[in-house]
Amino acid sequence: METEQIVKLEGVYKRFPAGKTEFTALNNISLAFGKGEFAGLVGPSGSGKTTLLNIIGSLDSPSEGTADVLGKRINTLSHKEAALLRNMGIGFIFQTYNLLPVYTVYDNVEFALLLQKRGAAERKKAVMEALEWVGLTEKANSKPSALSGGECQRVAIARAMVKRPQLVLADEPSANLDSKNSHHIVQTMKRLNKELGTTFIFSTHDEKVMQYLDRIIQLQDGMVVNQTGL
Amino acid sequence: MIKFLLKGILNDKGRSLLPIIVVTLGSMLTIFLHSWLTGVMGESIELSSNYNTGDVRIMTRPYANDKEQFPNDLAILESHGLVEELKKLEPQVEWAERIRFGALADFPDSLGETRGQGAVVGWAVDLLGEGSKEPQRFNLQESLERGRLPEKGGECLLSEDLAARYGVSPGEQFTLFGTTMEGGFSFTNFIVSGTIRFGSPALDRGAVIADIKDIRAAFDMEGASGEILGFLPYDYFNEEEAEAVKGRLNAAWASDEDEFAPVAQSLRDVPGMADFLAYSNYIGSIMIFLFVSAMAIVLWNAGLLGGLRRYTEFGVRIALGEDKRHIYKSLLWEALMTGVIGSVLGTVLGVTVVFALNSHGIDISGMMKNATMLMPSVMRPAVTPVMWYIGFIPGVFSMLLGNALAGVGIFKRETARLFNELEV
Repeated sequence: METEQIVKLEGVYKRFPAGKTEFTALNNISLAFGKGEFAGLVGPSGSGKTTLLNIIGSLDSPSEGTADVLGKRINTLSHKEAALLRNMGIGFIFQTYNLLPVYTVYDNVEFALLLQKRGAAERKKAVMEALEWVGLTEKANSKPSALSGGECQRVAIARAMVKRPQLVLADEPSANLDSKNSHHIVQTMKRLNKELGTTFIFSTHDEKVMQYLDRIIQLQDGMVVNQTGL
Repeated sequence: MIKFLLKGILNDKGRSLLPIIVVTLGSMLTIFLHSWLTGVMGESIELSSNYNTGDVRIMTRPYANDKEQFPNDLAILESHGLVEELKKLEPQVEWAERIRFGALADFPDSLGETRGQGAVVGWAVDLLGEGSKEPQRFNLQESLERGRLPEKGGECLLSEDLAARYGVSPGEQFTLFGTTMEGGFSFTNFIVSGTIRFGSPALDRGAVIADIKDIRAAFDMEGASGEILGFLPYDYFNEEEAEAVKGRLNAAWASDEDEFAPVAQSLRDVPGMADFLAYSNYIGSIMIFLFVSAMAIVLWNAGLLGGLRRYTEFGVRIALGEDKRHIYKSLLWEALMTGVIGSVLGTVLGVTVVFALNSHGIDISGMMKNATMLMPSVMRPAVTPVMWYIGFIPGVFSMLLGNALAGVGIFKRETARLFNELEV
C-alpha cells in the first residue's frame, strides 16, 4: 500500500545572489516524503541540507520548481499563510534548542498552543502529555537555565510535538549533545514517530542519528547524490 | 496571550525593570517640571495681578499713556461713581480703587530730628472698609512680621526690610513726603502699625501700604483714584475673560469724547506681560515635546537593545508559526503595559513631590536680594488637575513610539535565514 505523501518537491532549484552572479544552493531536487517517515538529509556543510529544510518548513520558497507541503504549494504562500502552515502543521527542532529563557519549561511548550488559540484546559492537558513523552513532567516549572543540554533538547522536542504536527523538521538536533543524550533524544523522536505517526525529517551528519533513520538522502553541492532505505 | 506576555515582562528584568525605571523617572520629571513652571509663573502672574494691575485695570486715557510713572495728576476723579457704573456693566468682576505713589519717608529720632530718610513706593488701598478684600489680596495677615494691621486712619504698614534698615518699630511715627494731585508739596504723619514681608525682594526693600482715604487726604485726591482694578472670580488669570471684559468696557467708552474718559487694560497690557503669558502658555507644551522626544530616543534605544537581545526569541516565534504582525503587536502591547505601569508609578512619585514642595516651597530670597522683578521669594509647584495625567503622555507615548520604531526590524527579518541565525 502506498503511503500518503505529505512533502513533494519537483525540480526544485534555489539560487542566491552572490555578487554579480548566482549561487545555486539546490539544483533540481525532486523528492517526496510520506506520512510517518523518519528520514534524514545528510551531507557536508554547504550541500544544501538547511536550504532544503527551509523550503520544506515554508521559511523560504524555491527559485524554480514546485514544493508542496501538507497540501500547500509553498511557492505561492503569503507570509501569513506560511506562518499559519508552520503554526498548524510543522514542528521545528533546532541544534541550539532555542528555548525562551525567561519562561518555564511549561510555558515554552505551551507557547505553540497559545498561537493556535486553544483553550486553557486543552493546553494544560496537551502540555503535560508532551512533557510526559519526553520524561520532563517534574521539570515543568523549571527555567531552561536550570536544565542540562539534553533536557533542553527534550523540551524542544516537546514544544515541537505538543501541537501534534504532521511534520517535524530537526536541524542537527544532536550537534550539541554528548553521545548518551544524542541517543536518548533520537530514541525519543523515533518513539514518537512510531506512536503518533509524525513524519520526521532531519538534517544531520551525526552517525549516531543516522543509525536510527529509515531513509537517508545524501546531498552534495545541492543535488541528491544517493538515497538509501527507500 | 496577554498573560503570557505579562509573565515575560515580569520575568525579564531587561524588558520590564529598565524601561519602567526610565518611564517612571520621565513621567515624574514631566509632572514636576510642569507643576513647577505653572506654579512659579502662576504665582508671578498672581502677584502682579494682586499688587499692580488686577486682571483688568481702569485708568484715565492720559494716565494709561504714562501708567508706569503713576501720574496721579491724571487720576480718575469721582472714582466711586465709576466703580458703581463698572459694577453694573461687569457685575461678575470685583472692583477695587487704588492709588500708587512714590514718596519719601522721613524717620525721626526721639527728639523729632530726622534719623533717616528713604524712598518708598506706596499702595493706597481700602484697608479699613467693611468687607474689603484688599488685605486678603496682599496677603497682609500672613505677611505680618511685627505689630498688627492698621485698624484706624493714620496707620500704615511698612515693609520689614525698610523698617529694619531705619530701626523703626510698630507704634512709631514717620512722615511721608509726597506730591499732591496738583503738583504741590505734601507731608503727612503716619503711625507704623506693623511691618510686613511681601516675599518679593523688589517690594521688601521699601514699601508702604496705607488706607486709601488717608492717602487721598495726604495728596489732596479727595474722591479720586489713580486706578480701579478689576479681579475676575478665578484662581488663575483667565486671559480670555479679561480680554473680553476689557473689550466690552472700551467699546462702551469708545464714544466718550472726554479727554479724561476711562480706558480699560488687561494684565496682558502690562509691558512684557504678553510675552510672559505667551511664554508660560507655550513653555509647558515645549517642555512636554522635549521630554517626549528625549524619552522616545532613550526608549527607542532601550527597545533596540531589547530587540537585539530578543532576536532569537522573535526568530523562534516566527519559526513556530507566529505571524510577524502578531509579534509586532505583542511588542506594542508590552510597551503599553510597561508604559502604563511606569506612568502610574511616575505619577504617584511626581504628585507626591509636587504636594510636598507645594506645602513647603523653596526659599530663594537669598538669591534675590538685588532683584527688581516682582517675583515670589518662595517658589513652589502648583497643584493642578493636569498633573494627574500629564505624565502619561511621555510615559505611554514614548514607550510606544520607541518600541514601534525598534520593532520595525521584525518585519525586515528574512525567514529564509532563520535556521542559520538560530543555529548560532
